[in-house]
Amino acid sequence: MTSIQLKNIKKSYGKTEVIHGIDLDIPSGEFCVFVGPSGCGKSTLLRMIAGLEDVTAGDLLIDGARVNGISAAKRGLAMVFQSYALYPHMSVRKNLSFGLENINLPKAEIKSRVEDAARMLQIDGYLDRKPGQLSGGQRQRVAIGRAVVREPRAFLFDEPLSNLDAELRVATRGEISALHQRLGNTMIYVTHDQVEAMTMADKIAVLRAGRLEQFGAPLELYNAPANMFVAGFIGSPRMNFLKAGLIAGAGQTILRLQDGQDIALSTDRFGRPASRPAVMGIRPGDLEITDSDAPLHMQVTAVEQLGSESILFGTSPCDEELVVTARGQTAVRVGDRLNLRPNPDAIHVFDAQSEESLALQ
Amino acid sequence: MWAFLTRTQGRGRLTLVDWLSYGYLAFGFLLIFIPVVWLGLNSVKTAFQIERQDISLIPGDYTRVARATVQGPDGKRIFFITDLPDWVLNWRDLSAADQAAQDVAGFLSAQTGDAALALRSHLGQTEPQALAVIAAQGLPDWLPRYRTMSASAKAEVNIEAALAGLSPANDRLLREFTGLYPGARLTSQILVSAPDPQTGEIRQWGVSNIDIKRAFTPARPVDAVNAKVTKLPTASLQADRNVQIAWENYIDPLSGSSYGVTVDFTRCLTNSVIVTIVGTAITLLINSMAAFALSKYKFRGQVMFLALILATLMVPPTITLVGVFKAIQATGISGSLWGIIIPGSATPAGVFMLRQYMLTLPDELIEAARMDSASEWKIFWKIVAPLALPAIAALGILSIVWRWNDLIVPLVAVATVKEAYTIQLCLLEFRGEHTSQEHYRLAMTMVSLIPTTLVFVFLQRYITTGIANSGMK
Repeated sequence: MTSIQLKNIKKSYGKTEVIHGIDLDIPSGEFCVFVGPSGCGKSTLLRMIAGLEDVTAGDLLIDGARVNGISAAKRGLAMVFQSYALYPHMSVRKNLSFGLENINLPKAEIKSRVEDAARMLQIDGYLDRKPGQLSGGQRQRVAIGRAVVREPRAFLFDEPLSNLDAELRVATRGEISALHQRLGNTMIYVTHDQVEAMTMADKIAVLRAGRLEQFGAPLELYNAPANMFVAGFIGSPRMNFLKAGLIAGAGQTILRLQDGQDIALSTDRFGRPASRPAVMGIRPGDLEITDSDAPLHMQVTAVEQLGSESILFGTSPCDEELVVTARGQTAVRVGDRLNLRPNPDAIHVFDAQSEESLALQ
Repeated sequence: MWAFLTRTQGRGRLTLVDWLSYGYLAFGFLLIFIPVVWLGLNSVKTAFQIERQDISLIPGDYTRVARATVQGPDGKRIFFITDLPDWVLNWRDLSAADQAAQDVAGFLSAQTGDAALALRSHLGQTEPQALAVIAAQGLPDWLPRYRTMSASAKAEVNIEAALAGLSPANDRLLREFTGLYPGARLTSQILVSAPDPQTGEIRQWGVSNIDIKRAFTPARPVDAVNAKVTKLPTASLQADRNVQIAWENYIDPLSGSSYGVTVDFTRCLTNSVIVTIVGTAITLLINSMAAFALSKYKFRGQVMFLALILATLMVPPTITLVGVFKAIQATGISGSLWGIIIPGSATPAGVFMLRQYMLTLPDELIEAARMDSASEWKIFWKIVAPLALPAIAALGILSIVWRWNDLIVPLVAVATVKEAYTIQLCLLEFRGEHTSQEHYRLAMTMVSLIPTTLVFVFLQRYITTGIANSGMK
């Protein structure tokens, strides 16, 4: 069992700093997902953990031991690459056994490990084929198999599903989760797809521009995002953001929207913050369409009927974009005007300046 | 094969583009093929034919006739001897072993008259026979030296007295031997048939050479003695050619029995094979390792190193020749095969070509291998080298051709040691200061083409993929 700790990890290319000091504690046996938009440094961070990139500053600890200066080969980790990086001139069997031969394992042991992994990943039928003769999904399994046979201390996945089609991606996602269940190893998984992150992770680290925005369990991030970025990144469709003013009154705190509508905030969740410009965040599913008067209004501009739910796109009177999801099928048409009542327990409030959440932790 | 060669652009019929393409291909093919065919045909011509600068494509010789000139008491007699065996006609071109194999005495004893005198001289029997007579008759011991004695020394001896009393045949023999009489001569001429300009009757003639650029060819009729030279119109000559393939051009040097050549061709061939194989192996190893470092490692001064390597491409090798010679001398490998192999081991063109190819290999493969605990050497050997095989093979072929055809470096490295000669130096040796053995040279040039041709035939598919992928020529 392996725990991985990052202490103020920094990375610079020349004078350009790309990772600005990240602290992260990944406990043993956890499935941790690094998620963030392109260029946020999540792959770089993973490659630093793998040992493929030097750590410019800070400490990287595996099981409490500092490994900054230890080469990739000696860290005992296994990595699955985005392109799979299978050795094209070797058969599947050779691909799987290459790493084991390098650490001089006995032949019998190699054979049994390769066969076990192949059976587990259902690639035992094409052990003698070359990677070029396999489909994308099969190659993916071989790449995972190559990591599995090593029996590594931890698995590192670098966007392993991005080259698969949608259907296969969902299936493989489940298989990787099952693999984690079965092996119990620590796994670090990099993706830019928040659905993958939400479905697979024990813990998610949201990264933006070389900084860690929030680290926590998926639902923790969903329910209590630390800032607007995390709130917007996690959840689909995206959270609605409406500009508002926070007014601290005598008895209660009021959120005043741009069109003058007031929404009272519960003191349980927000305490008594001072007055300031703010942003109200509300998830599309937490808006209820109602006939009676409601604080929010929306002019519908597009309707997506998915059968089990309907997604309604529109604009507020102040021309801010709004998205609402309604359960089941809807009779709403483009051009309709809707009254929307937000679920008071699901309202998020962010400081307009710092974009940090004002909710009490 | 046939379907490929007869492929057309349109449906069935040849279009203008087809005609042009096939024309262009045929032109290119002939451009390359004709010189090789020419070389091949010339390489089996006899030494005699090559020395005559006979430009005919067909190896072989005209039917020949011997023209004899014999000095007699009543002046010079010029006549033809027909139906002589080939070995007699070509006596001077035969090797010592071939000459010894013939029954000269038996042949001469069957001849009579002036023909016997001419043949005795031609076959080199004057001296042994004269020495035998001198010994048998107890003639003075200065007689064998008489020919080379000074005028004053000749005045002190009385040759006429010494020869007095000999039989006419022995008298004639000794007069020829001592140079009192000009020796009989025999020359080989081409036997032609042509109409007599005076009578119009078809006769046989002996001519020394047929040069179609000359309008008239001087000739003597074969059936007459002391006939005057007649000028025959060259166009009217009819000569028979007997195709004769001189395999000895190949056999002699390869079996080490070539006349007048001081180098051992099979030794040269072996040297060249060793130099080519060892040299190419070292070149491939050094170049691919350098290319791996330059393409896949990031280190300080990387661009500078590459620029430096490429800059050496711009220096003509002739400029560094003296430096190479000095280095070979200083390191003591001069005169050995290592002196040829080592200087050409690292080729900038090869490093560049392999680097360009290796740049196309994904870095993730190497990173995956590193994650798989492979050492850097193993990554190079097990991952990079196999994947760069097309480029390595292409460089291998180029290296083989460069090594095999190289003349300059061997000339600088081993010129003084004949045991270390490569094939190109060997070919140079066939044309010496005093002798020219063009017939051997042509044949051995042909032999020297075989290995490179075979390499191309078996490895050409790598050339196309390797060169196409690395963008090099």
